[in-house]
Amino acid sequence: MKTNHEIKLGVSLYSYQDTYYFHKQDLEGCLAAAAGAGAEGVEVFPEAMMPEWPYISDAFVDKWNGWMERYDLVPVCVDHFSDRRMWKNRNLSDDELVERGIWYIKTAAKLGCQSIRLLHEEHIGRNTIKRDYLLTDVKIAERLLPVAAEHNIMMALECHAPTSIDDPVHQIYMETAERLGLPFVGLQVDFSSYEYCMSTADVGMFTRQGAHAEILNIVREKQREAYFADRDFEYAEIKEQIEKIGLNDVDKNALRRVPGHKRPHSLLKLKELASQVVYVHGKFYDLDADGQVDNIDYPRVFKALQDGGYKGYICSEFEGNRRMNDAGWVDEIEYVRKHHILMRKCLGYD
Amino acid sequence: MYDAHILTDVGCRNIWEHGKKVGYCVNLTINYYRGLPLCCVDEIFLEVDGEPVDPAAIVLQHQGREYAYLDILKDTFPADFYWLFGEMLRVVVRKEGGIEQGRHPVKLRLATRRSYTPTMVSECTKTLTFA
Repeated sequence: MKTNHEIKLGVSLYSYQDTYYFHKQDLEGCLAAAAGAGAEGVEVFPEAMMPEWPYISDAFVDKWNGWMERYDLVPVCVDHFSDRRMWKNRNLSDDELVERGIWYIKTAAKLGCQSIRLLHEEHIGRNTIKRDYLLTDVKIAERLLPVAAEHNIMMALECHAPTSIDDPVHQIYMETAERLGLPFVGLQVDFSSYEYCMSTADVGMFTRQGAHAEILNIVREKQREAYFADRDFEYAEIKEQIEKIGLNDVDKNALRRVPGHKRPHSLLKLKELASQVVYVHGKFYDLDADGQVDNIDYPRVFKALQDGGYKGYICSEFEGNRRMNDAGWVDEIEYVRKHHILMRKCLGYD
Repeated sequence: MYDAHILTDVGCRNIWEHGKKVGYCVNLTINYYRGLPLCCVDEIFLEVDGEPVDPAAIVLQHQGREYAYLDILKDTFPADFYWLFGEMLRVVVRKEGGIEQGRHPVKLRLATRRSYTPTMVSECTKTLTFA
């Protein structure tokens, strides 16, 4: 549904992954679901839902354009990946990775999208996961910039937890674009940066794997208390209490990042940088009985984006599926529908 | 994510040629949230009736083409043949005499390399009925 809002809402089709994987809906069905939720835009993983990838035919583009018309949707973003470890005995060279990067840019242009989500080397910060290879680093991005410019495609740097858009590690990309006079790379917010406590989806998943629900709920409660009191979460305050219950290996795995996560990234910084943001992933895992995301402060996050002057799309990115589908069917279509109600409410659209 | 689903119960059967059983097959689905080039498969390990299957006896049938499993592990394999998300990949085990019709315990280990996270190793064990 087209609107004249400055902040527009959409759905990343990633949100419907189980729906597609288990053949409940095909690509058109997923588009119908997005449109039915009230979405204006869609983000697509061609590798997940377009069998012709990487050679999308004109015939498919015609069909795609027809769907965009039928469902009154706007194609927003194509998801880029950096599959450096292509073969068991050899990684892709830089030239080969650049060539594949060009596939995504050209596909985005063909589908009528305005951007690609670039899977850049620092997308989850530096050294979060030890790797002996590089994803799309600034050297590769520099070579993609002229191609992005030629096709008028913005390369959105998804800044995902534990990093955020105000982490200086992402700036080198914008500096490179500025040096070349090719302003085709920008910051992408992912709401994971603003999680203030463990999600109920994670509590459920780890509990089913053998963690103590009691321990995880104590942690979650203390994290919530700290966030709403506007102070740091201090693991030391509950350490003794939960160790008395006895931590098993699953508990330890569930809590591995908890002591270092004292508070979410700054919403003040989000507001400051909002006008430079080129795209937003509306990440969520679970909704509570009031229709609120259970571990991200949506009203305040949306206010920061609005007050800061963000103009562009926020696409639902439901990630609860992979945390909850071990317990049975997760109704992704229903989650996204409710998520859009929440987002519209936060923006004052209803 | 999809560990419990990667070994499907669809199309498990003997492979016949000229009235003789020459092998058997199972169908797998991917253990990731998108499709991957076939050469990003790091390992397909099968154990049938408690016996490991010789990797050299495995043949993959995909979109009308057939590849020796060991060939997809080499950098001579094309990087644009995608095992699609939700698509069944048919794994054929060449074995004279095939498999006895009926129920057999099958264990699968499927490892895939992806962009930013370590190689994902998924395991799935099921008792499957072979036709």
